[in-house]
Amino acid sequence: MSAGSESPAVAAATAAAGGGRLADALGPRLTRRIGIATTLPTQLLLIFIIAFPTLVTVYISLTAWTPLDGITWVQAYTSWSWFDNYIEIFQDGRLGGAILRTLFIVAVAVTSEFLLGFGLALLFVDKFAFRPIYYSLFLLPMMVVPAVSGYMFLILFQSTGPINQLISFVTGHPFEMVWLTNRTTATIAVIAADVWQWTPMMFLILLAGLIGVPQDQIKAARLLGASWGQILTRISLPRIRAVIVIAIGIRFIEALKLFDVMFIMTKGGPGVATETLSLYIYKRTFGDLEWAYVAAIGLTIVIVMSLAAIATLSAVRRIKARRAAAA
Amino acid sequence: MKSFLQILLPLRFLRHLLLLLALFAALFPIAWMASMAFKPMAEWTAASGDLTWLPKAPTLGNFQYIFTGVSDDYPSSTAMEKTAWRPIIASLLVSGIGTLIATIAGTLAAYGFSRFDRGRGLPLVLAQQRLFPPLAVIIPVMIMWAYLDLIDSWWGLALIYGIVTLPFAFWLMLTFLDEVPVELEEAALIEGARPYRVFLRVTLPLVKPALATTLLFVFILNWSDYVLALMLTREQWVTIPVFMNDLNSAQTGQLYGAKAALGLIAIVPPMIVGMLIQKHLVRGLTFGALKQ
Repeated sequence: MSAGSESPAVAAATAAAGGGRLADALGPRLTRRIGIATTLPTQLLLIFIIAFPTLVTVYISLTAWTPLDGITWVQAYTSWSWFDNYIEIFQDGRLGGAILRTLFIVAVAVTSEFLLGFGLALLFVDKFAFRPIYYSLFLLPMMVVPAVSGYMFLILFQSTGPINQLISFVTGHPFEMVWLTNRTTATIAVIAADVWQWTPMMFLILLAGLIGVPQDQIKAARLLGASWGQILTRISLPRIRAVIVIAIGIRFIEALKLFDVMFIMTKGGPGVATETLSLYIYKRTFGDLEWAYVAAIGLTIVIVMSLAAIATLSAVRRIKARRAAAA
Repeated sequence: MKSFLQILLPLRFLRHLLLLLALFAALFPIAWMASMAFKPMAEWTAASGDLTWLPKAPTLGNFQYIFTGVSDDYPSSTAMEKTAWRPIIASLLVSGIGTLIATIAGTLAAYGFSRFDRGRGLPLVLAQQRLFPPLAVIIPVMIMWAYLDLIDSWWGLALIYGIVTLPFAFWLMLTFLDEVPVELEEAALIEGARPYRVFLRVTLPLVKPALATTLLFVFILNWSDYVLALMLTREQWVTIPVFMNDLNSAQTGQLYGAKAALGLIAIVPPMIVGMLIQKHLVRGLTFGALKQ
């Protein structure tokens, strides 16, 4: 469901406080031994999933190997091609299109999710009748298996499906849009599915932030005659800035992975209208079996995203340090 | 006590109106699928303007089809050899074992990190594993899985599930463990109790609810997977979402009713589990950075 480049930074800062709290009670030798024993399974799993795959990726990305060659990946050196795959990345217009499309879809979806989730969270700040029931029900879309929500929306957006029927019903005119075979409407449909599923997550996180805003400050501002808008922009929003960054950051990273729903609803179509980065990679992997090229794309993505994460983390740390120094 | 909402919405019913509207949008797709699961083939698609909320002739034919491969409601050409039993068992088994792997390894590592300051790089390295789109890093995993003969085996899929959800288990348990005061454990250790006994008898009981939350949260994540099962299984161990691809027929196209029936079965467990751990969802989703 989620992960973030921001959240680990925040959590790491809090976790450091608990680091090694039992070390003194045991003495250095036993501490060391238990420390090694308890973290061993995780360390082994990490080495298993990082070391070998990284080596394989680097290796085959420098070749022109495909599973069709009839030789195993070990012998990929027979088609050694140096950096041809990496050069191709920059000449691959379809890849560039997929990246831009992914960023566009993610930007629209995450912005909508934020606005809707924030609006909904504002409705929940104080207590009212049936609040817990509403709250629980609003979380349901998030629990739906993403692949299933893909099928759900496939059914909803059929030309004879309920969306068209609802529109006909509301407007009074027969409406028969063939959503998934038109560039624009197919994009709208897949964004709608993402917004439907993940607005609850925005809502949940933002509400947790809003509830944390001290009520006495809001009360005091009210007594001094502050308007609702002033309270929101001057007190609540600045207070939950970190929460907003975390919520959007997590959704952004997760949305970049977008695959299940699109694969089921449109397979990237019509044409390449909804072909996201993950779908493009999937097609090159299984349609064209160009594993060496895909390995090069994968490694590039890993490097670029890691650099972006490091840059974000250090920026956050610098801001924190500056604030701490100012305080 | 006036809060800013009462100022924006002086009329209480306006809030409920907005909420009901949002609720309709949130629940409509689920409700439609639930209704679809009980509709006979003739009602799967309807002429324009003919919006049928509830099945006119409710049937269990869709469920009969996915569990037996044939249905009284379906033309005989749709009969299939495979049924949904195996994918359901596969989903349960693989998600279950994957959850155990992640939770056991993650809890131990979080304990080592929290109490004995071991594995200082772990938090960030684990978080980093969640950064990349799975498809960008799947090729070497497929090569490795093929080499180790793990493709289309339950243990192979369970292993990758365990690895992929390990960061969540670690971070969740870490934030829970850090909240527990260590005085009890400390006292027991100074008294001379064996460390593993202190872990089992003192630490674990203190974080029992946290452990349950972590297990359930990680289970939802594993149960929700599609990409990994699509890539790493072929036939024997396909999970529910992958099996849904097969519910088509050459003559009638997508078997919507059957898909809806199986979809309904797939979403009920995570919904129940999600309700149970509602209180801790924020913590889980934000890697422990935020609490409710």
